[in-house]
Amino acid sequence: MRNFDIVHPSSWAEALGLLSGGDEGTRAFSGGTALMLMMKSGFYAPTRLIHLGALEARCSFIEATADGGLLIGAAATLSSVEASPVVQRSAPVIAQAMKKLANVRVRNVARVGGALAHGDPHMDLPPILAALGGEVLLCGPDGERTCPVESFYTGYLETRLSQGELITGVRLPPQAGWRSAYVKCTTRAADDWPTVGVAVSLRVVSGAIADARIMVGAATERLTRLTSAEAALRLGAPDAATFARAADAAAQEAVTVDSASGSAGYKTELLRVYVRRTLAEALLNGAVQ
Amino acid sequence: MKHHDIMPAGQVGRSVPRLEGRQKVTGRAAYTHNLVLPGMLHAKVFRSTIPHGRILSIDTSAAAAVEGVHRVVTGEDLRAIVAEPYFGPAFHDQPALALDKVRHIGEPVAVVLAEDPYIAAEAARLIVATYEELDAVFDEVEAMTSSAIVHDVLKPAGTFPDLKHLVGKRDTNIALDYQLRRGDVDAAFASADHVYEHEFKSQQVMHTPLEPMVSLAAPDGDGLLIHTASQSPSFVRIEIARLLGWPENRVRVKVPYLGGGFGAKLYIKLEALVAILALMVKRPVKLSLTMEEQFFTITKHACTFRIKSAVSSEGRVTGRRCEVYWNGGAYADIGPRVTQKSGFTAPGPYDIENVSIDSYALYTNRPPAGALRGFGIPQLVWAYESHSDMIARDLGLDPVEFRRKNILREGRPHATGTLMHDAEIEGVLEKIAERMNWSAPFDRGEGHIKRGRGIAIAFKASISPTTSVAIVTIAADGCASLAISTVDMGQASDTAMAQILAEVLGLATEDIKVIHPDTDVTPYDMATLGSRSTFHMGHAVRLAGEHARRQLDELAVSLGYAPGAAYAPRDLFKKKYGMQAGNIVGVGSYIPDYTSPAPKTGLSDNITPFWMIGGTGVEIEIDTQTGAIKVLKLINAADLGLPLNPKIVETQLSGAALMQYGFTLFENMLFDEGQLTNGSLADYKIPGLNDIPPVIENHIVDARQTTGPFGAKGVGESATFGVSPAIANAIHDAVGVRLTELPLTPESIFNALRAAKSQAGKA
Repeated sequence: MRNFDIVHPSSWAEALGLLSGGDEGTRAFSGGTALMLMMKSGFYAPTRLIHLGALEARCSFIEATADGGLLIGAAATLSSVEASPVVQRSAPVIAQAMKKLANVRVRNVARVGGALAHGDPHMDLPPILAALGGEVLLCGPDGERTCPVESFYTGYLETRLSQGELITGVRLPPQAGWRSAYVKCTTRAADDWPTVGVAVSLRVVSGAIADARIMVGAATERLTRLTSAEAALRLGAPDAATFARAADAAAQEAVTVDSASGSAGYKTELLRVYVRRTLAEALLNGAVQ
Repeated sequence: MKHHDIMPAGQVGRSVPRLEGRQKVTGRAAYTHNLVLPGMLHAKVFRSTIPHGRILSIDTSAAAAVEGVHRVVTGEDLRAIVAEPYFGPAFHDQPALALDKVRHIGEPVAVVLAEDPYIAAEAARLIVATYEELDAVFDEVEAMTSSAIVHDVLKPAGTFPDLKHLVGKRDTNIALDYQLRRGDVDAAFASADHVYEHEFKSQQVMHTPLEPMVSLAAPDGDGLLIHTASQSPSFVRIEIARLLGWPENRVRVKVPYLGGGFGAKLYIKLEALVAILALMVKRPVKLSLTMEEQFFTITKHACTFRIKSAVSSEGRVTGRRCEVYWNGGAYADIGPRVTQKSGFTAPGPYDIENVSIDSYALYTNRPPAGALRGFGIPQLVWAYESHSDMIARDLGLDPVEFRRKNILREGRPHATGTLMHDAEIEGVLEKIAERMNWSAPFDRGEGHIKRGRGIAIAFKASISPTTSVAIVTIAADGCASLAISTVDMGQASDTAMAQILAEVLGLATEDIKVIHPDTDVTPYDMATLGSRSTFHMGHAVRLAGEHARRQLDELAVSLGYAPGAAYAPRDLFKKKYGMQAGNIVGVGSYIPDYTSPAPKTGLSDNITPFWMIGGTGVEIEIDTQTGAIKVLKLINAADLGLPLNPKIVETQLSGAALMQYGFTLFENMLFDEGQLTNGSLADYKIPGLNDIPPVIENHIVDARQTTGPFGAKGVGESATFGVSPAIANAIHDAVGVRLTELPLTPESIFNALRAAKSQAGKA
């Protein structure tokens, strides 16, 4: 860990300018909780780090949008999201999940933008935000654009974030009427990275499941939406039999991977169980008002 | 309660808070990691990327060219200072840097010295080594017959009396084969009503001390000063002096507090390398390992244990054959002692007429294995206490009842022939049964959550024969300092030793100054290991205190006090020297009696100065849909004699049990052709606060070690013994599947449940 610069841009424009060189050795960082580990292990050796700290004041907002959705700035810490009354009211699943996300020391410095940009499939926030229908807000040399969280990840540590682009925040659609849950399991120590993480969101209308989004993280190479499991739910009654059908579809569909925390085959079986349990929990959690 | 009686002076038996507690929690305690010396160079090690091979070339030119690099050193360069730079407690088999061959991935091959540790690290990455690859062997059972030979020449050290017979077997990977023969085991099997045979495996794991290994050597006049995070300063001095051909007094070894040791920092580790480097460059040299590098430095033995028992129809074990294979990795370290010391307890704390034991220390091309809290005992107990339950279940006997029928009781001979004394095997068993409410009905859970419970009991012999020496200095104002080479690595030995001295001298524990290991000042101690300090150093401190006390008494009489009359020591000094001046120095040296085991039979009438007895009971629940296991209750009980400090004893019991808990449930060094694939704390998980069972009880069983200082004996390892089999036995109790390989992961439980289901389906 030597021979690199840290620069502190004071505006988005300056930050984007610094990133525009196309140099693989240049990276933006905010909390640094993931990047520092990669640097310590020799996995990544930067030449220049762009610290986004000076942009925090402008980019750590958490606010309700006019349509009843939610807007979270990229520089908001995970702790501030956890404690936000707006989040607790309009997307309580996020606040609940935070309590078991890493630990308070990490949550105090880790930022929403970094949690989205890192691209490690074991992270908790991306599946939740994807299940809630979230969009990543990006700005780059060619202006601003958005990308659904569910399709933001292209591989292990790979995202649709282009070189020279920065994440400015995430936007969630209105959650009224949706029931959501996130459940993860670890197979080694309790505070391990998850072996499987399942986030679901569903809308029940007149006793039938009208809409559903099911995301799986950790067990797969990248965050994955389980569309055949969602199809198995649609128009079914929100009961154990429907959930079991969806769970079987999920197990069929997901491409799980081997790792030190479990074989692919075992993760598929865990996924089957956890899709069922997460759906049941979402139902129990009730609809956002 | 009897065992919480406080001794007459009110010091021994009192739960004195740790003397260093405040210093540690306020961040003021000094560790070797914090130490910086003027002109100091940092060393970074370049490591082997192949498991076994001949070194063809080492290109250090790119590393040496990095600005800020002082020097790059290879194994051959070390020969300028020490012609044969091989070290080790059992064999002189480990080179400070690889010479001729590399024997495991991660073995030190070269080292970069720089004033900036980051420059050293960057330059080390630029070193290129080429090798002629050799066949490698990784599995301990395969190593018995493998044509891949890890060491072409064996070099027994001959240092320790209990390992004097050690020669190894040339052209094999066997560093030591220990055997015990008692009675006629073949006849026992021939006439048995039932014969049971099982094989159990333990995985390789790491100590994971919070403070990674660190050593700093500095030239000091015509000698050498070594600051090191070591559990054995006296051994480091002797071994460095041997390597350099110097008298011991030219080598000074200082050890401050340790951030955990658990056996990782024993004997000699980084000290030989930094010592030679410091002499080579004539500057202080510091080597601080990262947490990750520790995986390549020392580990706990993986082990395969084949156990076979002859059992009568009433459930009495009449014969037992034990074959134990210890995966020692590339260097013997203290593995041969693990093989022997643990080996003779392999049949368990049971009264068995006919016993045969073969225990093998094997070289393989894995990172070396040595001592780790329990010293081989947990690997053995894992097997024999799982085996106990498997026999009991098959015979339809209650597991506690089966043990009651078979345990070794007071006065009965152990497998070696040594008669059991002061060993509360029964007390530990009954305490666990009582606290588990064993005879009452048990809630077995419902739906997909099944509950079960299990127990295990075990014993361990102390290492022997070993020596401890203590020096007490009484100052002219009557206060006392205690110079000992016992290392306080978190186990609170400073506090316990101060309590013993305070009790003897009639002082307050808090007023005793304990001088930390500094071989220029503190006398010899074999090492802080194997729960030996309380007994051995405890006696030495007691003797030193009594020696000082005697001299004070004599001084008092010489100054006209009536024999036995009360006096204040300060008055004696003032009267004798006319002012506050002078000292009284008390010395205590202790070595227990011991009879070496006969080489052919392994028998001895005095195999250990004391027995440590420990046991565990657990209640668990299993989620049958996922295999997830939750330990709801963890009950530890131990015979540690009389507790010197009950509160600290309880933390030793819970700490030991939780350490083994991680080794039982998930810790596991995973290898692919000798390459460690999870060598970081992100992928090698140790228990955290959220893993701790909601109920933990730690019980000090009523006992007294009649030969111990104030009735006490060691306790640091006792609660590790039973954890693994107690949990496996509880899993079987809950869901009817038997696991024979550690760790007991949810996936292995899930797979066993699946297999049982498909078996039932076929039936």
